[in-house]
Amino acid sequence: MAVSPKDTRVRAATLAGPVGQAGTAGEALRQASLWRDAWYRYVRNKGAVIAGVVFVLLVLYCYLIPGFWKIPGIWTSLADIDPYAVEFADARQGMSLAHPLGTDRFGRDMLARTALGGQVSIQIGFAATLVILVIGIAYGSISGFVGGMVDNAMMRFLDALYGLPYLPFAIITLAIIGTINIWTMTIALSIASWFTTARIVRGQIISLKENDYVRAAKAVGARWHRILLRHLLPNTLGVLIIAVFLELPGVVLGEAFLSFIGLGISPPEASWGAMAQDGRAVYRVQPLLIVIPSVAIAMLVLCANFIADGMRDALDPRTRET
Amino acid sequence: MALLEVRDLQTHFFTREGVVKAVDGVSFTLEKGKTLGIVGESGCGKSVTALSIMGLIPKPPAKIVGGEVLFEGRDLTKLSERQLEDVRGKEIAMIFQDPMTSLNPTLKIGTQITEVIRRHYGVGKDEARKRAVGLLDEVHIPNAAGRLDDYPHRFSGGMRQRVMIAIALSCNPKLLIADEPTTALDVTVQAQVLDLLDELRHSHDMSMIIITHDMGVVAEAADDIIVMYAGQFVEQATTLDLFDHPEHPYTEALLGALPQIEGEGIREGRLTAIPGRPPDLIDPPVACRFGPRCPYANRKDSCTTTMPELREIRPGHLVRSAHPTSERAEVREEVPV
Repeated sequence: MAVSPKDTRVRAATLAGPVGQAGTAGEALRQASLWRDAWYRYVRNKGAVIAGVVFVLLVLYCYLIPGFWKIPGIWTSLADIDPYAVEFADARQGMSLAHPLGTDRFGRDMLARTALGGQVSIQIGFAATLVILVIGIAYGSISGFVGGMVDNAMMRFLDALYGLPYLPFAIITLAIIGTINIWTMTIALSIASWFTTARIVRGQIISLKENDYVRAAKAVGARWHRILLRHLLPNTLGVLIIAVFLELPGVVLGEAFLSFIGLGISPPEASWGAMAQDGRAVYRVQPLLIVIPSVAIAMLVLCANFIADGMRDALDPRTRET
Repeated sequence: MALLEVRDLQTHFFTREGVVKAVDGVSFTLEKGKTLGIVGESGCGKSVTALSIMGLIPKPPAKIVGGEVLFEGRDLTKLSERQLEDVRGKEIAMIFQDPMTSLNPTLKIGTQITEVIRRHYGVGKDEARKRAVGLLDEVHIPNAAGRLDDYPHRFSGGMRQRVMIAIALSCNPKLLIADEPTTALDVTVQAQVLDLLDELRHSHDMSMIIITHDMGVVAEAADDIIVMYAGQFVEQATTLDLFDHPEHPYTEALLGALPQIEGEGIREGRLTAIPGRPPDLIDPPVACRFGPRCPYANRKDSCTTTMPELREIRPGHLVRSAHPTSERAEVREEVPV
């Protein structure tokens, strides 16, 4: 195998890391597990670490800020930092101490409202990714594990589904369901996007099931479900974690798009896409209203991509040391 | 009743190029408490024979097209997959060639041992763990209790093979099939593992089939030896008899190919090799399969047109050749110079 510069970097990083130092004389050998190795490789990737920190801060911000107004005595200068509180006297303000990110046309605080919108975006993002994973793993593992004609039929069916355009299909799904809330949007966004995950899992299962330890498990009488759940799926975990952070941006963007064209979450609830749509009308006079949610979306998506990248370097078997 | 009786076993692989007759009419009997060695070069059907007994051949493309595998009188080829699963591990266990890949890297070795015990005995976690410690002790892994929670990458090749042996023994099988158990190990560890296998065969009162291409391994471990060539048995004898009086030209050639430590001119010489290559198993010769490589076959012989039968040349010694060693010697004496 050709060693790319990336490989050498990873290898050198691992050797120099605490794993390599574990064998100092007199000291008991420390268990260098796969996850610890992966962790050391991950923290050496600066972009991925920054993305991870920003991601965590963003999530914390979304979930903590809207709660602050409920705590009396603290944040008195932000006393009306309530994402739902309409106060026309304060409408269309710029940045100030009372409203750090200004207010929208109903006088609602943008700092709190962006956090509220973020909750919706993140919830839909993670819920839809979870649904994608569940369907993808189930479909892909059955297809790969059974193999033969079943595999062939299931994959051809998947090829046909691949022809479905993602967003129009989500819109049609929403139209069929008839109501729009977090859960129906989750379904709409995941129903046409699990195909890639299914393929990844199938490929993994097919290559893993040829392993000697699968034959060894069969030789001691293990049944098929045990082989699949105990011996095959845990070995796909690394790839699946990466898949989560690769699917997440797509779903978040999909949600933002649907909300932006008015098919998503509607007021008084908020989502970043819906907020951007609100801001679009006044972007000449108050650009902050469209800039803030757009930047938030971009940050979440970029962070997820950087995290996926870092995790792939840390977990991918091809760059992993043997 | 013999523990295992294989009758005219035929396992074929149905591939795009044609039907590969990997195992073509193999019969043998294994008594309780005995060790049988099966030797032969790569691709002669040793492993497929073993996997056919276990019902582990990859279907498709492989299929047992004929014959019986009688284990304690039960024909294993007729059992359903579900019934076979209960036999595997419990009655017949198997250890494989490469211990580095035969353990699941994501599971602690304790889990991998206890899951077999719990699968076949249905005992609780604690009881299974207790037995697992006993098993690791038995295969001489130091600090057995402490190592149950280690992952396989913490074990060396020899240690992993010991773990594999512990797993194979966990349900006290009556038959242990060892498919090249020492091939992937270095020489000193090979000897230890062989000793261990022999010790455990005695203490667990098992029968054993050792499959190998290493004459040294079978010489040490086996009571009887079967030599396999191109999907068929060509010679079967007790270990001593086979090494002292090999009859089949192929066996002779195999023994001749063993590296010699002393002797004339061996320092500068090359290792002896058998000229030619094994036949294509899709379309094997109708006559003796060793014929094209046999130094004794010539065009006038019947063995170039018809397949020699496996015949008993003396009690307990079977050979499939028109030119066994003992008959050649007689012929040579009769021919006037």
